[in-house]
Amino acid sequence: MDSPSTDSVLTRHPLAVLRFLGLVLLGSGVGGVAALAAVGFVNAVVWLNDLLLISPRGQMMAADTTLVILATLLVPTLGGLLVGQLHRGLPGGRPHTPADAIAAVQTRRGRLPAKAGALSALSGLVSLGAGASVGQYGPLVHLGATLGSLITRLLRLGRSEDNITIACGVAAAIAAAFNAPLAGIVFAHEVVLRHYALRAFAPVAAAAIVGYVLATQLLAQGTLFHITEPGVPQPWEFALFLALGGLGALVAGGYMHAILAMGQLARRLPLPTSLHPALAGALLGLTALWVPDILGMGQETLRFATLPGAYSGGELLMVLLLKLAATALCLGLGFAGGVFSPALVIGTLFGALAGTLVAELGGGQETFIFYAVCGMVAVTAPVLGAPLTTLLIVFELTGSYALTTAALASVTLANPLAAQLFGRSLFDIQLARRGLDLSAGRSRAVLQETRLTELISHDAVTLAPATPLKAAISRLSQAGHGEAYRVDGRGRYQGCVTLASLESFREGSEATTLADCPETPRPVLDPHASLWEAMQQLQKVTGEAIAVVDDERRFLGVAYESSIARAFLYHSDALRREEHGAG
Amino acid sequence: MPDAADSLTVLSWGGAYEHAQRRALFTPFTEAHDVPVAVDNYNGGLTELRQAVAENDVPWDVLDMTRSEAMAACEEGLLEPLPPELAAPAPDGTPASQDFFPGALGRCFISHSIFATVVAYRRDAFPGERPTRIADLFDQQRFPGPRALQRTPAANLEWALLSYRVPREELYRLLSTRRGLDLAFARLQSIDNIHWWEAGETPVRLLEEGQVVMASGYNGRFFAAMVERDLPIEILWDGQLQEHETWAIPRGASNPEAAQTFIRFATTSERQVELARHIPYGPARRSAAMQVTTHRDSGLDMRLHIPTHPINAQGAVTKDETWYARTQERIEALFRETLFREALTTQK
Repeated sequence: MDSPSTDSVLTRHPLAVLRFLGLVLLGSGVGGVAALAAVGFVNAVVWLNDLLLISPRGQMMAADTTLVILATLLVPTLGGLLVGQLHRGLPGGRPHTPADAIAAVQTRRGRLPAKAGALSALSGLVSLGAGASVGQYGPLVHLGATLGSLITRLLRLGRSEDNITIACGVAAAIAAAFNAPLAGIVFAHEVVLRHYALRAFAPVAAAAIVGYVLATQLLAQGTLFHITEPGVPQPWEFALFLALGGLGALVAGGYMHAILAMGQLARRLPLPTSLHPALAGALLGLTALWVPDILGMGQETLRFATLPGAYSGGELLMVLLLKLAATALCLGLGFAGGVFSPALVIGTLFGALAGTLVAELGGGQETFIFYAVCGMVAVTAPVLGAPLTTLLIVFELTGSYALTTAALASVTLANPLAAQLFGRSLFDIQLARRGLDLSAGRSRAVLQETRLTELISHDAVTLAPATPLKAAISRLSQAGHGEAYRVDGRGRYQGCVTLASLESFREGSEATTLADCPETPRPVLDPHASLWEAMQQLQKVTGEAIAVVDDERRFLGVAYESSIARAFLYHSDALRREEHGAG
Repeated sequence: MPDAADSLTVLSWGGAYEHAQRRALFTPFTEAHDVPVAVDNYNGGLTELRQAVAENDVPWDVLDMTRSEAMAACEEGLLEPLPPELAAPAPDGTPASQDFFPGALGRCFISHSIFATVVAYRRDAFPGERPTRIADLFDQQRFPGPRALQRTPAANLEWALLSYRVPREELYRLLSTRRGLDLAFARLQSIDNIHWWEAGETPVRLLEEGQVVMASGYNGRFFAAMVERDLPIEILWDGQLQEHETWAIPRGASNPEAAQTFIRFATTSERQVELARHIPYGPARRSAAMQVTTHRDSGLDMRLHIPTHPINAQGAVTKDETWYARTQERIEALFRETLFREALTTQK
């Protein structure tokens, strides 16, 4: 513990400053690596899309219409086939996503596996390159996180550094891919770290800056979203932007649940899992022959949705529903990719639909872009669980303060509403379904993820039920314990008895063996239980320890109350140091 | 040295442009190398070249082509590949590959100038406010009157999409979709009373005669009309479509050595600077762009009139010539079919 000794403050100070600077340097290094990977990834996707006749540009450049039709049908299907094969090499058979990075940081586990990260990035690249209706920022974020974690491990640094470099990788990837350093920093804090400690902020900011600078030098393709001089909305329109946020939350909920439901449905398909993505690709390609707008990340669709009159109201609704279905299909059936880019497209289509309706009811066409952007934000922010990041993306990409304030009106309602109805974000819902509940914050997540196994002690008095009472009492006294655990010949746990109850029993009855003694009611713990569950059980217990018993009631040892409490304090303290320490 | 009796036939674009080339390039070349230069005129397009190469009867030695057409012609095998060391280094010794702007040195061509297709308007047509944005071309409520536009997709499609506030970075991605093309055509069809022009001098004449109040055209021609003929017109630089103009040698040309000598001569920094003193096209190499001075005849500062000057280039669109090289024929057919109801089958 910190003792307020002047001496130690003076001697520690220069070293702490150096360590802090080292961390910032590490952050910028991670940022550079992650940004280069992100830029390479983005360029590779563009190149593949052009080459494989998936992007409109690629299709237009290929003169042969038959070739384009064949590519539309075959490329997503074959891409799906390849993705399916790649996923066989992954534990769980699924690509890793930002949710895995969030889980690693929230539980302080860190240590993102390099092989799974590389395979996930590769299958993300194949999925996006082959035109699956998925996003590219998910794979980028996970790739950045994996690289950050890998660098920490190569340098043999601790878990605390691991968590921070994961966040650095994430921030740099976002900063590079969006040309938006502020959004990168805020995303890393808002979604991945979920705290704003200065110790993490400085390296994350350094990573984002390096990522941004590298991207401006290397990324030929400009930013995602240029807006030229939007008008100024009427004051009453802000009420509409607010309402749009509320409705957008519902669209976001529909989108998230469509993805989850499709994942459930996929389990019941009479088809090997490795063929699922190919099926999704075939269906996508077939639909894209009719509505090409749903193919790929949908940058062109996104842009058209911001132009008044580019789509009729009916078309907007149709493309919105089809894009939503296509994304759910692709992600649910196992293509690797993110949820962000499709959410942007769906949100913008939704906002454009609202804008078209308002225009038909007599509102101005001048502010059409505001509705499109508000819709975009209202759907995207709840899916990511990141209102601030989404706002900053709008601000950094459009440079328009007017648009950002309108978007602010939208997220004001969208995020809380969606959080109440569905969950904080799609990542959180996915993790909760895998048994990691992040709704109660990081301290609980850490306790939930810490296993009891390492706390199990064998220093306990175990006695056979047939042990005479007297012998039992003397054994306990000699061992200096107040509690004994009855374990039968087959190693089965038969309840706990305390020294006090044995003593009082010897006085008042003629029972002779332990078996005759009534057991002191005590909960037991599963060896796989988490520290969190142990803490919960502890509240019901006054005594030394809780017996640890497996599924077949075999006695494995005990967990002492003091060691559970010590572990709790240790993790809380580590968390406190990571989140509140300055250096 | 080529035989003095040989003459060099250059295919170029006529008008003020040819006049400038004659003074800055052709006459000095004849003086220096004793080879007379004959000039033939065309309005762009590969049809004649294709036919000439097919019939093995190519009447030209050097072609002045837009870069997109040069790229397409090169891919079709209609042009002779040029030796990589053909272009001369800069006066300070900087190698040509570093001195020319990116993309200026192709396999079959060397860019010499960067010109722009712009919109010009009659100063007296709009007494109240003047057009400031390319979207004003389509705004006949605020700026009433007939328009003159080139009978090609290039520039028109870009401007039409720009008027929807599509950012210039995304123009060609969106023009690659049916939806984008439809939006652009719809905008063009919304204009009342368009005069479609083909030869570069026509829009200048239409403006001069007052038949139209706004016209698209090449910035050099408008400059010549403003400066030499004192025409009351003004250039709207917003949305200017910048393009490279190149030199190339047709396959089967009868005098390729003389042609190469000419191209090396015409692309030196010295000749480039001289050309920019006659017509306001931006030189395609840095060493020349730095030295642009005044107009030979009027003494005007030419830097303010070349498309690449920073003030003029604020809203400039760089023509995606790779895109055009691959799509030109189809886009053109669609353009004619949509706007002129010409059947697709009648097009080559």
